Amino acid sequence: MIEVKNIDKYFGTNHVLKNLSASFQASKINMIIGKSGSGKTVLLKSIIGLHIPEKGEIFFDNREFISAKLNFKREIRKEIGMVFQGGALFTSLSVEENVMFPLNMFSNMSKAEKQNRVDFCLERVNIKDANKLFPSELSGGMQKRVAIARAIALNPKYLFCDEPNSGLDPQTAILIDQLIKEITTEYGITTIINTHDMNSVMEIGDNINFIFEGENIWQGNRVEIFNSDCKELNDFVFASELYKKIKHNI
Amino acid sequence: MGAVLTLQVAINFVSPLIPRYLIGLSARDTFILEFSSTMVCLILAGKVGSNIASEVGTMRITEQIDALEIMGLNSASYLILPKIVAALITFPILSLLSTILGILGGFLIALSTDVVTVYDYIHGLHYAFVPFYVTYSIIKICFFSVIITSISAFQGYYTFGGALEVGKSSTKAVVYSIIVVLLFNLILTKLLLT
Ligand SMILES: Nc1ncnc2c1ncn2[C@@H]1O[C@H](COP(=O)(O)OP(=O)(O)OP(=O)(O)O)[C@@H](O)[C@H]1O
Ligand SMILES: [Mg+2]
Repeated sequence: MIEVKNIDKYFGTNHVLKNLSASFQASKINMIIGKSGSGKTVLLKSIIGLHIPEKGEIFFDNREFISAKLNFKREIRKEIGMVFQGGALFTSLSVEENVMFPLNMFSNMSKAEKQNRVDFCLERVNIKDANKLFPSELSGGMQKRVAIARAIALNPKYLFCDEPNSGLDPQTAILIDQLIKEITTEYGITTIINTHDMNSVMEIGDNINFIFEGENIWQGNRVEIFNSDCKELNDFVFASELYKKIKHNI
Repeated sequence: MGAVLTLQVAINFVSPLIPRYLIGLSARDTFILEFSSTMVCLILAGKVGSNIASEVGTMRITEQIDALEIMGLNSASYLILPKIVAALITFPILSLLSTILGILGGFLIALSTDVVTVYDYIHGLHYAFVPFYVTYSIIKICFFSVIITSISAFQGYYTFGGALEVGKSSTKAVVYSIIVVLLFNLILTKLLLT
């Protein structure tokens, strides 16, 4: 479980996160939704320490993170898997080497075990016959999937995904959603997903946080989201005609 | 360069009072003292410096460095240390190569023209050889390789923004490397040779 308490984050005079609190549960798909520019990526990066909030506390299973020593932060980070918005694959390494990288760094598996693990992870994200290719030779969606494979290679306790299925076709997007859902419940991972894709919210969202201009103004599950009376949330969710119709039919 | 240097020195030594073997000596000392250390490192600053800065800078803006950090690695030492070690190994080798080729170039001039005889040139190469000059040269190269790689890696590592900033970092890396190399050249020469 990850708890975020009253964090504030500024970039110069730009107050991006405003006294934001949230809690994210284990074995559940925790979602952060909100408009583009509302601060989702900044929140995610603040939780893992790539941005340092000016104020507030973050607990990873009751271990305080922001004020922790760098070595302790590194220990916690070894339990984290992260899928960046742009993939962030190592461009000088092949697909296989990318997934192998965390294993080489932090596991004491034998060569054969590592290879097995890599094949297993790549199979789970439906990457076939691309082991020897380099990231520049992959499509955007394939890069995303390889990034997910790399993030789950070490069986993380915490999984962060920044828009894991943006740029994917609906079929693959659902596949990725299902995959994340499966591994989350299977291994009891605390998963946090940033998204503005309402389909995946409806598909897998267990605990949804709606961020509006840097504030967490609504929290609930995918059933409650249809019946909320929060105006900003309704504007966001029912932006499309399709969801307006769905609401009327419920 | 060795050929040009030998030619120019030979052409300019017009007085019959100056022994001709000094031509070989000046080729040797110029290469060991300055050309193979400072000049070669300035060239390498342009090539290797911009390369390192743009590579590390690209890793920064595409979040690859963040990805390393998230895995719990110390991204700076993981990326930069091997580059410094590599430079410490390759720069001296390149510099040695430059000395050999330079002196060989002068030898070819001695062989193919009559500005200096082969005997005088070789005699000059042996004449009044100071072994410490080689040590001095190696010390300088080691300093310069660390300076060039660390400045360039630093510039790349602290790139923020997009592709345009990577280009700027790469330019800054080369400019700063060259300035600091020239400055250290002066300091080290003052410390080691006087
Ligand atoms: N490194 C940074 N330096 C300065 N300002 C930043 C930085 N990163 C983000 N911001 C600002 O923070 C705000 C929130 O950005 P953020 O990337 O979190 O949006 P987002 O919700 O992830 O949007 P999207 O859905 O488009 O990815 C923006 O106004 C942005 O300008
Ligand atoms: Mg974002």
